[in-house]
Amino acid sequence: MFLPIGDAGRAELVERRISEAITGGHLRAGDRLPSEADLARTMGVAPVTVREALLGLRSRGLVVTRRGRNGGSFVSEEADPLEFARETLLASSRFAIRDLGVHYAALTMAGVRLAARRSAPVEVAAIRSRLGRLDGLAGRELTPTELGAWRQTMDDLVLELVALSQSARLTRDQMRLQAEFSPLLRLIDVDAGIRVHHRELFENVLGAVESGDEDAAGAAIERLIADAIDALDELRLRADDA
Amino acid sequence: MMPDPVQPVYDADHGDVVEAQRSKKGDGMSATAVQTLGDAETPVLESASSIVSAYFAKLLPMLEEHAARLASEIVESGGDGLTATRMDDLVEPHAHELLDFADEPIYGAGFIATVDLLADAPSHLAWWQGADRRKLVFPPRSIKQSIDYRDLEWFRVPSLTGNSHVAGPYVDYLCSDEYTMTAAAPVTVDGNFVGVAGLDVLIETIERRLTPPLRALASPVLLVNGVNRVLVSTDRRFSAGDVLRADRVEVLERRGCDAVDLEVVILR
Repeated sequence: MFLPIGDAGRAELVERRISEAITGGHLRAGDRLPSEADLARTMGVAPVTVREALLGLRSRGLVVTRRGRNGGSFVSEEADPLEFARETLLASSRFAIRDLGVHYAALTMAGVRLAARRSAPVEVAAIRSRLGRLDGLAGRELTPTELGAWRQTMDDLVLELVALSQSARLTRDQMRLQAEFSPLLRLIDVDAGIRVHHRELFENVLGAVESGDEDAAGAAIERLIADAIDALDELRLRADDA
Repeated sequence: MMPDPVQPVYDADHGDVVEAQRSKKGDGMSATAVQTLGDAETPVLESASSIVSAYFAKLLPMLEEHAARLASEIVESGGDGLTATRMDDLVEPHAHELLDFADEPIYGAGFIATVDLLADAPSHLAWWQGADRRKLVFPPRSIKQSIDYRDLEWFRVPSLTGNSHVAGPYVDYLCSDEYTMTAAAPVTVDGNFVGVAGLDVLIETIERRLTPPLRALASPVLLVNGVNRVLVSTDRRFSAGDVLRADRVEVLERRGCDAVDLEVVILR
């Protein structure tokens, strides 16, 4: 998100990175952004570029700027990741959602298959124990904060699993695609039944990776992602009915 | 009489930290060679082991020296009430000095504070990396921000054993997004663990450096870590990142390396 971007004149890219962080829920309502100087330094652009990007974010209502001693730029109090996800879903065609799903599934399957070949059982066990910490969040009504924690942990665990492929390139692509796909998954996470089901499907993936069965691991992660995409597609269809 | 202190050590056979008697020196660094071949193979593994040891003997003492200097600077600066910014100022010269190391390209270097060390941050990474030595900065609550590094090998092993450790190879999605090894040395103040000083070397770098001398040996060898993951291989059936699974390959002979938790292996 705040990784180096390169030369000056990249205000749009800076703006997109920050807006993705806000719509994806990584920066939340009321969060203070780093100072213009710090943002410029860490993203490797000129301060004037950051200023331009912030102007854009302010005009879109994502960021507010307050003056004074405790002033600075803050994520707007109205920023709600679920609302952003709904807007994204509505703005996307069914084809686009399906195609994003196909891309995400293909990449994740490749990573998970390799993980089955190249991971050590102790590494998979570490992921399973972190999955266990979600037990309390699976089958009941959740607050928005808890829902955020659920999504973040699931994303982390999938990323960790793909990193066990030992491929830096696949892992980087996974992070990029996850940033795009994960905000939408929040829309189906609100259903407790889906969370319980997805937790089980992920458990199956871990079992197959642990036993080194590439085909079973690939099939198991495909079931999990296909189920998520079907649920998203259903939401998209129903949105058109309304 | 007090019983022998039980000291956690890194168990290279299982890739984890275990409790063991300190006096036994049964750590993962000692050789666990299984002699099933004739003596003819032994010189190959001996040579391979010393090639690897010599490589890491350049890096680890340098890192440990920085860890010790950093510890005394933390004491001098008052210890209590240390802020993230002050910590960055203390660490930055060390990071630059490590990145300046002429013998070997070092990709990243810095210090990772243990939880609750600093007055104004629950956890903190003071880390510089890449060709332009950019300081690593995480935005609040990004995926990376939420990762609990206490679970990660390069932090966990030095914090539990009190010894330096070389972790990896692994895809470092926290810092560099590269395939790397991380060497980490514990930093202790008054006997208390306060964090690790670390440096990253890309697997590409290690592979480039170690492949030619290992290729020159009489038979193919593999350099593997505690979970049997390959760092460097001159056996064409395996390459960096592969794991030797006991149910699929037969290890003829293996031998530890001095001063680093790695082993060299010959396969059937």
